[in-house]
Amino acid sequence: MSLSDPFASALLDLLPRLRRFAAGLSRDRSEADDLCQATIERALRNRTRWQDGTRLDSWIYRMMRNMWIDEVRARTRRGQTFIAEELGSDVGADGGQEAGVMLGDIDRALAKLPDEQREAVILVMVEGYSYKEAAEIVGCPVGTLNSRLVRGRDALLARLGETA
Amino acid sequence: MTPTPEQVAAFADGQLEAEEAIVVAEAIARSPELQAEVASHQALRSRLSAHFAPVLTEPASLTHLRLLRHDDTVIDLASVRARRRRLAWIAAPALAASIALAILLRPPAPVQDYAQPELAGMLDRQLVSEQRQGAAARVLLSFVTRDGRFCRAFSTTDASGIACRDDGGWKIEGTASGTRQAGEYRQAASEAAVMQQAQNMAAGPALNGAEEAKARARGWRNPH
Repeated sequence: MSLSDPFASALLDLLPRLRRFAAGLSRDRSEADDLCQATIERALRNRTRWQDGTRLDSWIYRMMRNMWIDEVRARTRRGQTFIAEELGSDVGADGGQEAGVMLGDIDRALAKLPDEQREAVILVMVEGYSYKEAAEIVGCPVGTLNSRLVRGRDALLARLGETA
Repeated sequence: MTPTPEQVAAFADGQLEAEEAIVVAEAIARSPELQAEVASHQALRSRLSAHFAPVLTEPASLTHLRLLRHDDTVIDLASVRARRRRLAWIAAPALAASIALAILLRPPAPVQDYAQPELAGMLDRQLVSEQRQGAAARVLLSFVTRDGRFCRAFSTTDASGIACRDDGGWKIEGTASGTRQAGEYRQAASEAAVMQQAQNMAAGPALNGAEEAKARARGWRNPH
């Protein structure tokens, strides 16, 4: 599929990766797809703020990450738990019965990590960013990113077993 | 020199500058313990990336594709979530109208009245809950019609459609194929058209995993 709008076309190319990052940040796939949708909408609205020649992926990842953090804070204020209230009611809502809660060992172990550790682990170990790039997306020093990664990794290894 | 856990991790991820990398590498070479740390770091990395890899090959979300086609205006994540709660059991129909311009829903050609063996086999055996995400040929959902038949919406690389079980096998009740778009967009759009038809035909919500398994055990016959 090609789009006449080059910006939307570039977003389209990034879409699978954005969905993966959203799945890594969120607790379930419907939440991840909502986050992805909201990010696409914001990116389209703020397209003039993206500077040509800079990396579009880092720009969008930062946007998605910040939206996620805002959402987490808003929920904490509202006193909601992380498990979305409508889980299970949207079966079949998106291309059949595939969407759903992620309940594998890895998903559960990731869900227990503090957000700052989970995002560090996901950006480096799943998304493949360098420490420097990941630190720029998160907006923290490289050393901080490095230590969050180690703490998150150790917690995951402890939960999943040393053999990983 | 004993490297910190941060240095060992950075070494394992190839993130150290030349000089530091050499010093840390030497320390690791002398210590079986540190070697094990590097190995488990890398094993976790492989395990995590394998865990999320299937997301990359999933068919694109119709909602996401539609957004990229023309800018809808939605304010924030909260309103996206609020809107989702209002969706019916199939979200696709509302989308189908806007994106399925090149989609033809047409009656089956006579020779294709019944599913051919390969497709029929998938319809007989494949449960939605068990299939691999992102597979090229998939059953999208199963439902019961108002006149009391089991039907299943499917998607293959060639077309999407709906087949209903009767005495003769899996009768093709409709197919959709995109004519102008290529690749995943075509597949997503034809799936949307099929989902719309499924909703028109269905007497209730899509079968859940347990209901599908029960239907399969009964050969997809006699729902009631």
